[in-house]
Amino acid sequence: MTDELRFRGPTGPADSDSLGEPLTGLVRDAYLPLQDSDAYWAGLEQRIMARVKTAGVEDSRWWSVLAPWAQAGLIAAMAIAAVSNVINQRLSESDSQYAYESVIQTPTPDADASEALLSTTDRAASRDAALEYVLSH
Amino acid sequence: MRIPDEERALAEKARAGDHNAFAGLVRLHQRRAYLVARAIVTVHEDAEDAVQEGFVRAYQALDRFDTTQSFGAWLNRIVANAALDIGRRRKVRTTDELSEALQSPFRDPAEYAELKGRLAEALAQLPERARSVIVLHDIEGFTHVEIGVMLGIPGGTARSDLHHARQKLRVLLKDLRG
Repeated sequence: MTDELRFRGPTGPADSDSLGEPLTGLVRDAYLPLQDSDAYWAGLEQRIMARVKTAGVEDSRWWSVLAPWAQAGLIAAMAIAAVSNVINQRLSESDSQYAYESVIQTPTPDADASEALLSTTDRAASRDAALEYVLSH
Repeated sequence: MRIPDEERALAEKARAGDHNAFAGLVRLHQRRAYLVARAIVTVHEDAEDAVQEGFVRAYQALDRFDTTQSFGAWLNRIVANAALDIGRRRKVRTTDELSEALQSPFRDPAEYAELKGRLAEALAQLPERARSVIVLHDIEGFTHVEIGVMLGIPGGTARSDLHHARQKLRVLLKDLRG
């Protein structure tokens, strides 16, 4: 059962460039199906439907269900990777800055010693001034 | 183009998941699909593969098919693509292979042996696309535009391929004419 059991042949206006019937007929015969019987077409139909059913089963497997999400998932993963890369870079820059500032702001041991020496001198001077004041009164 | 009611009804049911309706579409269109595939790949087994692959692809893409359009035209494009894919994987056919492929059950075997040899020789000398175009147009009756859509070439290129292929076939088979 088909509406296309036979060759249609060229349609439309007459073709002046046509090969003509002897040659066209020869080519037509050559391209006829090898087995042109109802049994052959029924068999082909069965094979096609068997493959279609297999394809349907493949489609319904869980990874096929997930397949449409694969692209969205990939894009999301790439976005997350890009954002975490930026954050890492910022954190790394901030650590470097902090380390730099720590180095700059840390007093040198010599400066500590001078400060300690100065404060000792100040304390001695204050003590002498206080003693002098008490004795004078 | 008017779509036959039977085809439209089958296409709509098949889109809704009805396997029997899809089988109905297979019955309606498999022969034509086979001829389209055979025009492109020449060899019977390859044509069968292309038809099966084409129907599977069509089934998987049914949700994208517009049921107001012709299922047959849509299917033929898919089958042609499947055939072109198979053709790309194959080596160029030799005359012997073509001669084996071009068999007809409707002729006297002795007479046909000579004819098919000559025809195979002539067809083997045509570029593959030109061979497909001549069969799709002169035998199948597709228009240049339809052939262009199927083979992925402009309609004008299909027309010019056809003209050159005919010229060459005429020269090669001139003693068989008339």
